[in-house]
This record gives sequence, structure tokens and C-alpha cells, in this order.
Amino acid sequence: MKLTNLTTSFAVAAIGTLLTGVILVAENQWAVIGALLAAAALSIVLARLKIGMVLASVLNESSAWVALLIPLGGVIIGFALHEEDFVLMMLATVLIYGLACVGLTIQFGYAGVINFAGAAFFGIGGYTAALLGEWGIPSLLIIVAGGMVAAAIGCILILPVLRTKGHYAALITIAFGLLFRSFLEVNHTLGGPQGLKVEGASVAGHSLLDGIQLGSFQASFYLNYVLLALGVFTICFILARNLEKSWIGVNFDAVREDPIGASVFGVNVAYWRIMAFVIGNFVIGLAGAIFAMMQNFIAPSNFTFSDSLIMLSIIVLGGLGNLWAILPAAILVVVMPEKLQEIGEFRILVFAVLVVLVLRFRPSGLFPRALRKFRREVAQ
Amino acid sequence: MFIRAMIAAAVMFGGVATASAQTKETVKIAFIGPMSGGNSAAGIGGRNSAELAVRLRNADPASKYNYQLVPMDDECKPNVGIQVATRVSTDRSIVAGVTHYCSAVAIATVDVYHRFRLPVVVWGAILPAITYGNEHKEIHRVNGSMLDEVRASTSFLTGLGYKKWVIVHDTTDYGNGFLRFFKERIAETNAEIVSSFGVSADQQDFSAELLKIKGIQPQIVVFAGLTPLGVRIRSQMERLGVDIQYAGVSGIMSASYVEALGATAEGTVSVHNGAPAESLPGGRMFVEQYGKAGFTDPAEPYGPYAFVAASLIMDAVEEVGPDREKVRDVLNATKDHESVAGPITFDDHRHHAVASTKYVAQDGHWVRWEDSLYASGQRHLKGQ
Amino acid sequence: MAILFEYLFNGAVLGIMYALVAVGFTLFFGVLDIIKFSHGDVLTLGAFSGLVSFLALQSLGLDLPVVGLVVVLAAACIVTGAVGALIGQAFIIPMRNASGFNILLMTLMIGTGIREAIRLFYPNGANPKAFPALLPKTPIEIGGVFFRLDSIVLLGLGFGVILLTNWLIRHTKLGLAIRAVAQDGDTAQAMGIPFKTIVLATFALGSALAGIAGVMHGIYYSEINFSVGLLLGVIGFSAAVVGGLGSIWGAIIGGFTFAALQTLWVVVFPDASGYRDVFAFTAIIIAMTIWPTGIIAERYSERV
Repeated sequence: MKLTNLTTSFAVAAIGTLLTGVILVAENQWAVIGALLAAAALSIVLARLKIGMVLASVLNESSAWVALLIPLGGVIIGFALHEEDFVLMMLATVLIYGLACVGLTIQFGYAGVINFAGAAFFGIGGYTAALLGEWGIPSLLIIVAGGMVAAAIGCILILPVLRTKGHYAALITIAFGLLFRSFLEVNHTLGGPQGLKVEGASVAGHSLLDGIQLGSFQASFYLNYVLLALGVFTICFILARNLEKSWIGVNFDAVREDPIGASVFGVNVAYWRIMAFVIGNFVIGLAGAIFAMMQNFIAPSNFTFSDSLIMLSIIVLGGLGNLWAILPAAILVVVMPEKLQEIGEFRILVFAVLVVLVLRFRPSGLFPRALRKFRREVAQ
Repeated sequence: MFIRAMIAAAVMFGGVATASAQTKETVKIAFIGPMSGGNSAAGIGGRNSAELAVRLRNADPASKYNYQLVPMDDECKPNVGIQVATRVSTDRSIVAGVTHYCSAVAIATVDVYHRFRLPVVVWGAILPAITYGNEHKEIHRVNGSMLDEVRASTSFLTGLGYKKWVIVHDTTDYGNGFLRFFKERIAETNAEIVSSFGVSADQQDFSAELLKIKGIQPQIVVFAGLTPLGVRIRSQMERLGVDIQYAGVSGIMSASYVEALGATAEGTVSVHNGAPAESLPGGRMFVEQYGKAGFTDPAEPYGPYAFVAASLIMDAVEEVGPDREKVRDVLNATKDHESVAGPITFDDHRHHAVASTKYVAQDGHWVRWEDSLYASGQRHLKGQ
Repeated sequence: MAILFEYLFNGAVLGIMYALVAVGFTLFFGVLDIIKFSHGDVLTLGAFSGLVSFLALQSLGLDLPVVGLVVVLAAACIVTGAVGALIGQAFIIPMRNASGFNILLMTLMIGTGIREAIRLFYPNGANPKAFPALLPKTPIEIGGVFFRLDSIVLLGLGFGVILLTNWLIRHTKLGLAIRAVAQDGDTAQAMGIPFKTIVLATFALGSALAGIAGVMHGIYYSEINFSVGLLLGVIGFSAAVVGGLGSIWGAIIGGFTFAALQTLWVVVFPDASGYRDVFAFTAIIIAMTIWPTGIIAERYSERV
């Protein structure tokens, strides 16, 4: 790996960390707008100078270690702001949504399996955490269980999703998302519309609800969740990245771009679509379980159709299939409406208009996915 | 009481003295309610009412502080509510909050307020568990609970001779809560609930449910849910020829119910946790001032409670200064505190019980039952 | 027995409204292979413009029975037709080479924008609004079966509009052009058919149907509110897909199927009425598994 690549990556990580910090901390409207404008200007300049594409391919080509820049940046922000409960909660929320979007990227970005029920699988993870939390099972196991249950329930949809294509498949997942929420509301065994309380996570006997205390250093308990989410996010990020770069990723690409061509060349289209769907749901379920533990409370209204849309907005705004774009887009989508509280009633309208404009004028997202460079990969 | 009055007087003098001597310190109070989405009418009415309380206080030269309302939107969604509640609670410049209209949000956020020790006064959510389901000293409520409404409604309707009920409820915590308490209460009377229908909060067509009800032929249809649904069900009863008396809960009692239904609204009965604002001495002041303040949206029925909640908080701040714990203690001890909604007293769970008032829709207005032409026998409800 | 006819009758009115929305979805899909999810909210816009035009008439003292209905319908159709064509012109045609999914998400957000704008900018827009009774509500009772005159007129109007649309597509020059574009846009263009004009005309036509559905909805329920489009959009889309995208008859079958599923559940299981959407959507997933491209399968059907 070239040294220039490494320095570029570091520079990008540093700028990203700084902007994230500013956007998270900014209380003043002008500071928020300033940081957003700076980010927008940066992305436009990058696109104009073609640096965007270069950057994307640099990040794409670089080794797995570069992905560790993300936890590095996250830890720096986390510790720099260790007393700011709200900011840390937003950061953790961004990471959790980012994690769910890693799952959606595997499904839709890689294998082209559309999923409009992201929030439903997120919710399945959350409800699993709520139910298992009562039995005193170790938290890390619960998180994994959340992913597994989400993947298992997702299997019900395999047959319909496999048999349908395009908009027909979209309807299947839309219908599942709607019926999932409707079911939770009318069925009382899972708390009904009032929802369930969820036990907070604890790692190695230390409850994450107690903030870290080391001498004069007193951190908010949300820092614990930031670190937890950061850890899981990084692991899934690296695994997804390796998946993309491996021969499995090539199969996914073939299945997405031309299923008929792929099957002619002996790629088992159905198999890879199932794989992507199940793995994706597993990751979304993980995210849901962590989310439920952090919030300590979940209700059906957390998992509506519009929440699924928010997740999809993140991956499409960022750039479909580009893992590196997830975090900047998640910051935009999760933090911005919160920061726009002052414009109160108008913020959903403003958000909708912004998403429409981005989709209209940058249809491949803010940070488009880099093209796969086959020769080099084969050489590796 | 006497000592308190002395303190208040002393505080007032002190306030005048400091106010004239220097510019007042600014104290922030949060307001949280649904300001976008389907329940935004109630949320905006509440925000305006709380804003009115703050403005009136700031215009009062005797007040020691300059108050500022920080309005936040919870979208009536628990996850958004938790985010907003955390944001408000961790902002040390905010002393207390006037919080939540939707019960699902209010119940989700109580732990957040407790964890960060922010005293709040609930202004619109009526699920009993919000105050009775925990021991958090931070949570108070001025607007009563659904128990008060169910009690009043059951004895009122059975007293009128309606013995065969059908309940239509929305499948949110609000409608389900009512269904549960109605069932408990009806079991103690000689009336019975012959059937109940759960409907989702965004449902548009009720022809299947209503035709089923037409077949059952109950004496009364009781609807537990909010205005938009209440309007749809009532107008579709008319369309399908379901000629049965219709009753609602406080959720339907808004100006837009009678506006949207016109003549069809006539004769709908309802209960609400609060006497008509106009009939109270303070209430008349509220209605006048609200009109004068030039808000474009109406206060909606729970507006006066948001006003009361904000006033209670400001009274406490005037008494002990902008300190969360002291404000909490003062709020905890509230007893016979005068307000536009009558004297406020918090019980051991910081809950203010109210006697629900019975209403009937008459000539395009909600009229107190006792003052109506129905009570005086000039008009008759269906099946009477 | 009488009550059974009432179920059927009211289910039919519901079905015809779903079908009108679904026909719009199917027309858009026919010409450009896209899903335009803002359709439901365009319907709301139609209902509200009808209401505004009625209030204007009323203030002029011109709210006569027949005139009122005609003006309200015309206003709704003009506004929705124009908005539909505008969305097509400004957002969809320039994007026709982007992935269909991008357009789906974009139009969903356009719909959210329209919905929020109505809520914010119509006076007291968050509250339900009374819709004028433009047709006589005279109750009629035949052999114990109760219905109202305007329900029958609405049912007739709905069927009439759908038949008219079908005739337009089958037997006019415009319809021929629309079918040509639906079959193969590039070839149609090479044959001298103005592609863009035809696509915009289709958008205007489909959206005008939503305008009519919006007014029907207003009259039938005597009430409109800013969020009716959200659910109607999802249901209309489901109906179009279940019936088979691209086929008008498929949309009609889909619309009636959905209405039947919802009504049937409540009739059979009144105590579990809350589960009716769970049931309807489960049935749709199963139906899609059995007929992956809709009941009227796409590849055998003639695309409109």
C-alpha cells in the first residue's frame, strides 16, 4: 500500500472527525448551517476535481487496517465530549443507524435485494433484546441473538422475495413492514402499543448505565454505548468490506447487475440473494438490539414505514454500495432534523425537500461507490 | 399557608427590588409536544398556551426572572421523544419542563427525566401509569388521568339508561387503556359491553365495523380515540344509517370535531378532565388573553393545562430560584395552588386528580351537559 | 341477508376508490416503468383544491347543486393533472435513466413534502375538514337494505370514469400513442410519437383520476384530512401490484381484492378487527408468492 494513500486516508479521517465533532456540538443555528455548508462545499469540490472518485477508490483499495480510522475518530470524539450526554447519544444513534445501513448495503447495495422493511428487522432485534434481557443473559449474547432472530424471521420472506423482482419485491417488504408494526400494536403479548422496557446492557459485570469513572475523569454513561456501538460497527464494517472484496462480493455484483447473465455463467443467483438477505437482516438485528438497550424502552411506533425510509435514505444519499459513505450520510439524516428543532413544525418539510434535491441533482449519492478494479484484485 | 404567603410577599418585594436594580436573570423552561404529524393541532395549542403563560409572567414587573420557553417537537413518537427529552434534560440551563401530550411518549420518557433529575409537569398525557407506574419524584401531572374520565363517563351513561355498549377504540395505548378501564368499571354496574372493535389510528374506512355494529344493535357506541378517527366514525355512522347514540372521550373533544362534522355532531356526548375554561374565573382570563395574544391556532382543550403546568413551574422558580432539585421539591408539595383550572393538589404520586365534566355537542359547540337543552329535556339523545 | 348486501355495496364503493388510485399507478408504470409514490398525496391535494373551489363558489353565492359538483371535480382534476405533469417534468423524466428505486424514494419524499405543505399552509391544516355534501344524501331502503343516493351516484361515477379511461386508452389516438410508448419508448419515438408529451399526458391523466378519487373520497366520508393520501397511496400501490402492473383490469381487480380482504376479515372475525391490516398484507405476500408478477401476469398482458 502506498504511503500517499495512507496520508490521504488520514487526512480524510481527520477532516471527517472534525466536521462530525462540530456538527454534533454546534448548538447555535448558524454553526450548524455553517458546518453543513462546509461539508456540502467540500463534497462538491471533491466531485468537481474528481478527487471524490479517486478518494473512493483509494479508500476502497486500501487494506482493512484503514477501516480502523473510524473507531479512532469515534473514540477521539467520544472522549473529547465525554460529559455531553445528548451529543454522545446522538453519536451512538448515528453509529447504530450506520450499523443497520451496513446490513442494508449488503442486501441492496451489493446483491440488489431490495428491503423496505429495515425498521421491522431492526425492531425484531430490539424486541429480542427486551425479552432476553429479563432472563439475565449476557448482553453481548443478547445482541448476537437479536441478529439471529431477525435473520430467522427474515427467512419467512425468502420464498416470496426470490420469486418476485423489482417493484413486486419492493411491495413484499413494504407489506411485511406494515404488517409487523400493525401486529405489534394489536397483539398484547409483546407489550402492545405501550411497548416494553428493556434492560440496559452490561459488559463483564459492569452495567453500561454507570458512566466510566477514573479519578477526576467522569464520563456520561452514553460514552459506554458509543464505545459498544463503535466496536460492533467496526467489526461489521470490516467484515462487510472483506465480503465485498472477496469472490463473494464479485458474485453479489454479478447477481445484482445481470441475474440472467450470472446464471448462465454458473452463479447460483437464488443462493446469493438468500445469503445477502439473511446476512443483511442479521446485521440490522444487531443494530436493533443495541438500540433497544441504549433507549431502555421500545414501542411499535419506533419501527414504522417511515423509519425504514430513513434507513434507505441514508444509503441512497451516501452513495449506494459505498460503505464509507454510510457514516457521513447517517450524520446528515439522523443529526440534522434534531439540530433543526428551532424551525419546529417545518423541519420534516425541509428534510423532505433536501432529500428530493439531493436525489434529483446527485442521483448516485453524495459519495458514489468506486468501480471495482478487477486486475489488481485478481493479482492480490 | 400563612408562612408561605409571607415568603411569597417577601419574594415579591425582593423581586421588585432586584428587578429595578438590575436586568433579570433568564430562566429556561422546556415545552415538549407533538408539533408535526397528525396530533400537531393539540401540540401547537399547548405550546401557544405555555408561551402565553411565559409572556404574561414576563410582562409582570413583580417577577424576579425573565422566562424563556424552549419548545421541542416529539412527533408523538417514543424514540423521538426520548431523544428530545435527553436533549432537554442534559441542558443544564433548562430548569424544568412542560412535557408531552401523547401517552406513549410520556411513558417512554419518565426514566430519562428521573435519570437526569429534570422536574417535569405533564400537560396532556392521561395514561395512569405515567405517574402511578413509578416512584420518580420528578414526574408531575396536572391534567388528571383516564381513570377520572372513565369514572365520570360510566356513571353518566349508565345513569342515562344505556346498558348495552359497544366500544370502538384505537389500538394505541390511549384507546386500549380506555378499553381496559371501561371493562373494569362496567363490570361493577348492571350494564355490559357486548362487543369491542380495535381500529388502527390511520384507518379511513369503517364500513365493515359499523355494519357489524348495526347488526348487533347496541344502545350506545362509545369511541375511545382522538378527533380525526372520531370524526370519521361518526360521519360514516350517518352514511351507513347506523342510528345509535354516539359517545366519546376527551380525545374527540376539540373544536375541529364539531367543525368537521357540522350538523352530524349534534348530540354527541363526551367527558373531559376540566370544567369549561370560560366557566372558571381564571379560565375567562385565559380565553381573553389567548385571544389577545394573536395566535393563529386555537388553544385546544388541553391548552389551559399547558398554561397551568408552565405557571406552576414559574411559581416554584419564583419561590426557590432556578434550581432543579428545589423546584422539584416545591412542585412535589403543591397543595391547593390557585390556577386557571382551579386549585391544584398533587397526591403522593404527584398526580392531580380532576373531576371530569360531561359535555354534549349542541348547535356546533361543546356545551356542559348541565347547561344543555338535553339536560333540561328540550332535546333528546338517541334512544331516550 | 340485507346486511350482506350492505357489506357488498359499501365494499364496492371502497373498491372503486382503491381501483381509481391503482389505475394511476399502473398508467405511470406502463409508460416509464416507474413507481410514482407521490400519487396518494396528489389525491389529497385534489380533495383540498376541490374544497377550496367550493368555498370560493360559496362566497360568490354560486353553490348550486350540479354546478358545485362539476366545478369541484374540474378544479380537482386541473390541479392534480397539472401537479402530476409537473412532477413528471421536473423530477421523473430527467431521472428516467436512474434506478427505479431512486425514483421511488424521491417520489415518496415529494409526497411527504406535499403532505406537510398542506398541513402547514392550509389554515388549521392539521385538523380534519368538513367536505361539502355535493350530492343529495337521501336515504333509500329497499327490502331492508339501507343506502344513500349519493353512494350510488359515486359508485356509478367511479365505474364511468374507469370505463372512460379504458376507452381513451383503447380507442383514441392519444391512447394508441400511450400504448406505443408503453410497449417500447425508443421505437415509438423513432415512429414520430412525441415521447415526452405522451409521458406527461399520461401523468396528467393518471393524476386527474386521483383528483376524482379525492373528491369522491371527500363526498363519501364527508371529511378530508391532510394524511389520507399516505395509506391510500400504499393501498393503491399494493392493488396495482397485486393485479399486475401495467394492466388497467389488473388495477381494478387489485382494488376490489383489497377492499374485499379488509371487509371480509372484520365480518368473519369481529373480535379481532384490529388484525385486519395484518391479514390483508399477509394475504398480499401470499398472493405475490403464488403470482409473482400479479394476478394478470405482466408478460402476457398487454401493457397500457
